[in-house]
Amino acid sequence: MSRPDPMITAQGISVGYGRGAVVEDLHLAIPEKSFTALMGSNGSGKSTLLRSLAGLITPIAGTIQLAGRALRGFATKELARQVSMLAQGPVAPDGLTVLDLVRQGRYPHRSLFGRWSDADDAACTDALQLTRMADLAGHPLDSLSGGQRQRAWIAMTLAQQSTVLLLDEPTTFLDLAHQIDVMELLVQLVRERGKTVVAVLHDLNQAARHADHMVLLKKGRIAAAGRPPDVMTADRIAQVFGVAAAVMPDPIAGTPMCVPLADHRPADE
Amino acid sequence: MTRGIVLLLVLIAALMLASIAYGDHPLAWGDLFGEDPEAQMIILDLRLPRALLALLVGMGLAVAGAIAQAILRNPLADPGILGINAGAALAAMLLIVMLDGPSIQSLAIAGFAGAAVTAGALHVLSWRNGTTSTRIILIGIGLSAFAGAATTLLTAFGDIHDVQRAMIWLAGSVYHADWSSVRFLALWLISPLALAFIAARELDLIRFGDAAALSLGQRADLIRGLMIFLCTLLSGAAVAAAGLIGFVGLIAPHMARRLVGPAHARLLPMAALIGAALVMAADLLGRSVIAPAQLPAGITTALIGAPFFGYLLWRQRHVTA
Repeated sequence: MSRPDPMITAQGISVGYGRGAVVEDLHLAIPEKSFTALMGSNGSGKSTLLRSLAGLITPIAGTIQLAGRALRGFATKELARQVSMLAQGPVAPDGLTVLDLVRQGRYPHRSLFGRWSDADDAACTDALQLTRMADLAGHPLDSLSGGQRQRAWIAMTLAQQSTVLLLDEPTTFLDLAHQIDVMELLVQLVRERGKTVVAVLHDLNQAARHADHMVLLKKGRIAAAGRPPDVMTADRIAQVFGVAAAVMPDPIAGTPMCVPLADHRPADE
Repeated sequence: MTRGIVLLLVLIAALMLASIAYGDHPLAWGDLFGEDPEAQMIILDLRLPRALLALLVGMGLAVAGAIAQAILRNPLADPGILGINAGAALAAMLLIVMLDGPSIQSLAIAGFAGAAVTAGALHVLSWRNGTTSTRIILIGIGLSAFAGAATTLLTAFGDIHDVQRAMIWLAGSVYHADWSSVRFLALWLISPLALAFIAARELDLIRFGDAAALSLGQRADLIRGLMIFLCTLLSGAAVAAAGLIGFVGLIAPHMARRLVGPAHARLLPMAALIGAALVMAADLLGRSVIAPAQLPAGITTALIGAPFFGYLLWRQRHVTA
């Protein structure tokens, strides 16, 4: 199988806040037009890695390239037209409607004196329709359920019309139906719009079912990366998550599915 | 929006007329546009500049407050949190202790310089690989406390009459207004006000916090620095012209937000008009209630602003959950 070209590459990057690196000497290639799931236990450096891919933190060492060009060489707005990032548990100022929020996504496309354009309107409408939020556009964010609010934020990220979407735990705190909605939306964005999606996820089985590419992080380093069937093995799950599990084909999708064993602590570390 | 603006403009016009007509020497409506030289002198040299100065000060304070609330992402913020008021007070007090009987003009200049120095120090001290709103607020509170303590200490060394004059100046009033101060303040405010309106979109975004702002391509630290600068120009000039008129910078943006929503393109003009009306009303009231004595506008703004603010909150109690 031919591998798609990498959209983002990280070469030997170390990232840290103050003292001590959270991510150390990490090499990574994110294939373009595909859905990459970034996984690992709490504190393994997933969010930090995602933030550095978005250009929000500059690595202490190493380089990150976007489509072959160093991230550092991008102007802030220019980068925001290429890469959008949805943080974990984002909070909006009081009193905004869904549409107010989504319109913020057009910021990087507007110049200081640039007026709101038809293209801006079209992008917002498209984003609202993709997330099925069009009917709620005029509603205040405070009046929405958690799942609707998350979809509104995703709509804002989509209005940005970037080729790369980075999402930090987009499904956390959502009920099962909304989790599936979000996962299917991400798959749709990759298949129909040719986006490159990277999402930090916690549910291995959901990730295996929907993602094209899976990256497992352990203590700021890559433990495994590749197609879900190659990456999701019992040994790896024991190594990365410290959980003894059996891996079998998902009876519906045929993708790997992991089920923790009754005595889930691995025999030895 | 349009209706609100029209209503406010009518209110401001009414306040303007009332400010001109009412005073120790009441004028009949006929005198307002008549030929009587005494009436003309009272109107043109005393009352009109005073009303206009109140209007300008209110606009400056309200827009500065709206900017502070956006960049600090805190609804309780006002320019005072940036240490501007305390810095102005300290500089004015220093001048009073060092010089013998300084003029009002020199107090104003010292006030502005003090405000600018404090805001600059705040920005430098809170810079650590960029700024955060929490750090700015904490350092601003610390600087204000320090400047406040120093001011109190200095009052002990000043001549009692000078200190009293300084206290009156600091209490915030427009009683010493004349045309030159009106012209000066108008020219001073015009560019920061225009810049703030142009930057409305930046203010809309920076309220989302740095992570969101950055990932949408905003250089949050740069914008915050520029906005602190604008805020200092606006409120520093207002303080220099009229002393410390509190509360307007805090409540005018809130009132505006309740009337036109959170988008700064609408919020800023609305806040400016509300601020203008508030300070004009405060001054008018302050020189009416216990006439011929006068209450400084800075005291009256709080007296009329707080109940009105409470009323707005109460009236809208069912609107948002």
